[in-house]
Amino acid sequence: MNGLAKRLSARDTSVQSRALGDALFSHLLPTRRAEGWRWSDIQSALNDINQRVRVPREEEWSESAEAAVAHSARAGNVIAALAAGTADGWYSSWGPPFSNTSNPMFDQLGEVGSVGGRELEANEELVVVQHLKPEGGLAAHCYDFVVGPGARLTRVLLQSGDGVALVSGRVIVREFGQLRQFVLAEGAKLARIETHVEIEGEGAEVELHGVYFCDAGRHADLTSVVTHKAANGKTKQLIKGVARKGGRGVFQGKIVVERGARKTDARQYHHGMLLEEGAEIFAKPELMIHADDVACAHGNTAGGLDESALFYLRSRGLAEAEARALLIEAFLLEAVPEWLPAAVRDEVEARIGAWLRS
Amino acid sequence: MFEVNDLYVRVGEAEIIKGLTLAVPAGETHAIMGPNGSGKSTLAYALAGRGGYEVTAGAARLDGADLLALTPEARAAKGLFLSFQYPVEIPGLSAIAFLKAALNAQRKARGLEPMPAPALLKLMREKAQALNINEDMLKRPLNVGFSGGEKKRFEALQMAVLQPRFAILDETDSGLDIDALKLVAENVNALRSPARGMLVITHYQRLLDYIKPDRVHVLARGQIVKSGGPELALELEREGYDKYLRAA
Repeated sequence: MNGLAKRLSARDTSVQSRALGDALFSHLLPTRRAEGWRWSDIQSALNDINQRVRVPREEEWSESAEAAVAHSARAGNVIAALAAGTADGWYSSWGPPFSNTSNPMFDQLGEVGSVGGRELEANEELVVVQHLKPEGGLAAHCYDFVVGPGARLTRVLLQSGDGVALVSGRVIVREFGQLRQFVLAEGAKLARIETHVEIEGEGAEVELHGVYFCDAGRHADLTSVVTHKAANGKTKQLIKGVARKGGRGVFQGKIVVERGARKTDARQYHHGMLLEEGAEIFAKPELMIHADDVACAHGNTAGGLDESALFYLRSRGLAEAEARALLIEAFLLEAVPEWLPAAVRDEVEARIGAWLRS
Repeated sequence: MFEVNDLYVRVGEAEIIKGLTLAVPAGETHAIMGPNGSGKSTLAYALAGRGGYEVTAGAARLDGADLLALTPEARAAKGLFLSFQYPVEIPGLSAIAFLKAALNAQRKARGLEPMPAPALLKLMREKAQALNINEDMLKRPLNVGFSGGEKKRFEALQMAVLQPRFAILDETDSGLDIDALKLVAENVNALRSPARGMLVITHYQRLLDYIKPDRVHVLARGQIVKSGGPELALELEREGYDKYLRAA
C-alpha cells in the first residue's frame, strides 16, 4: 500500500459535505434515455441508496481535477465530472518510478471520489492494481493515463462492495505503446466501469479483458470505447460474465477504426451466461470501421449453462452443484489473462470460486 | 452383476427403448450391436441418467443397487462409467484438474479421503503413459482441440483411473484409426477382471476383433432381438441387420 490510500481517506469527510450535499438536481444526471445509460439507471440507483447528487458544475471542480480529468468531464463524461467535484488531489507523480508484474503497485480507491493518473514516459512500465470497495454510498473515480512510445501500462481494477461505484478511465496510447487492462466487477447497487482508449500512435496494442458476476440486486456495467486513430494498431477484448436471478450485467463495447487507421486488427468478444430464470444480461457490441485494409471481428453470446457438459461432469461423479461451479469457473477464467501478477490472479480466482460456491 | 429389466425409455414424444432386458454378470464383457437409430446411444444415456431420457418403466441394477433412483453422480459413485461417443469439450477446465476432481468426488461419495496429490499424479502419469497420452495433453483444456482419437484415449484414461465396477463403452471405435483402436482396446482389455463387467456398444464388428465379447446382443427397434456368442457379430458383419429389422 502506498501513501495514496491514506490521503484519500483523510479527506473523505470534507469532500462529502462539499460535493455530495443535499442539493437536488438529479435531472442533471443522465436518464435511461441518454446514450449509453439505457440499461444502467443511475438516478434510481442513487435514489435507492438515498443519495441526492447533481453533476458538479465546472467552477466546482477541484483545481487538481482541472488538470486531470477536465477533458473527459467537458466531453460529457458524467463520471469524470462527479469525480472532479468530489476529489481534491491530482497525483501526477503517482506510483513508483518503475513497477512490473512481479512488483505491482496497489491502490485502494476511496469511499467518495478521486482523480488521478499518470503519463508514462517512453518505454516506461507501470503495473497498477486498483481495489474499489465502497460501503454503500456513491464513489466516483476518474483516471487519465498517457502511455508514451514503447511504454506499457498494465491496469487491474477489482470492484466489490455496495452502493453506487463509478469508475472512468481514459488512456491515450502512443506509438508502440501497450495497454493491458483487466476488470473484475462483482456488481453493486450499480457498478459502472468505463474505459476510453484512444490509440494515437502506430503499432499500439490494447487488451481489455474483464469478468463480471451479479447476484440478486447487483448490477455490473462494463462500458468501453476504443478509438483507433493510427495504423497497425491491435485491440483484443474478451469480456465474460454471469448473472443470477435478480442480477443484471451490462456490456457496451464500441471499437471505432478511423480513416487512416490502416491495418488495424481489432477483436471483441463478449459472452454472458444466465444462471437462473430472472437473470439479465444486456450487451451492445459495436464495431465502426471507416478505414480500408483492416481485420476486425466480434462475437457476442448470452445463454445458459451447457447441459451436455454438465451431464458429462456428473457422469464422472461430480455432484451437480460442484459440476456447475466448475463449468462456470472454467467459463469465466477464460477471460482472466495470463499476464496478471500472480498474487492478483490468485485473488481473482479465489473471488470467483467463493462467489460460485456461495 | 449388471441387470436391465423390461426397460422403456422415452425421449420427448418418442419411445425409443421398448422392453429391453439384459444381464451382464461380473467378469463378462457383452456387446450390443445394432443399426443406426435402434436406440444404442439412448440406452447408454438412460442408464447413465442423462436428463431428457425418461425411463417410463422397468429397472436397472448394478450389484443390486437400483440405478434408476440415483442421480448421475451417485451412479458413478456406485461404479458405473459411460465412455461417451462424443466426449464434451470444456474450455477453461484442464483435463488433469477434471480427472482429479472426478476421482476425489467419487472417493468422497464412498466415504474415502481425497487421494494425496503425489499419489494421484503418479497414478495418472502411469495410466496416461500406457495410452500414449503425454503430460502436455493432460494440461490442455478438457477435450478442446483433441483429435477424435485423443478424445477416445482420454475416455479410456478416465476409465483406467476411476476403476469402475461396470463400464458402458458407447461407439468407442468411432473416430479412431486402426492404431488408436488397437491401443484403446488394449487398455480396455487390461481393465477386464473377474470383478468388472463391460457393455460395448458398437455398430461395426471391427471393434470386437480387439475387445472380444463373451456375449453379443442385437438391438433393433428398442429391444434385444437376438443374443448369442461372439460368432453372432461375424454373422451380422456378413449378413447385415436387415433380417432383424424385418423380424422386429
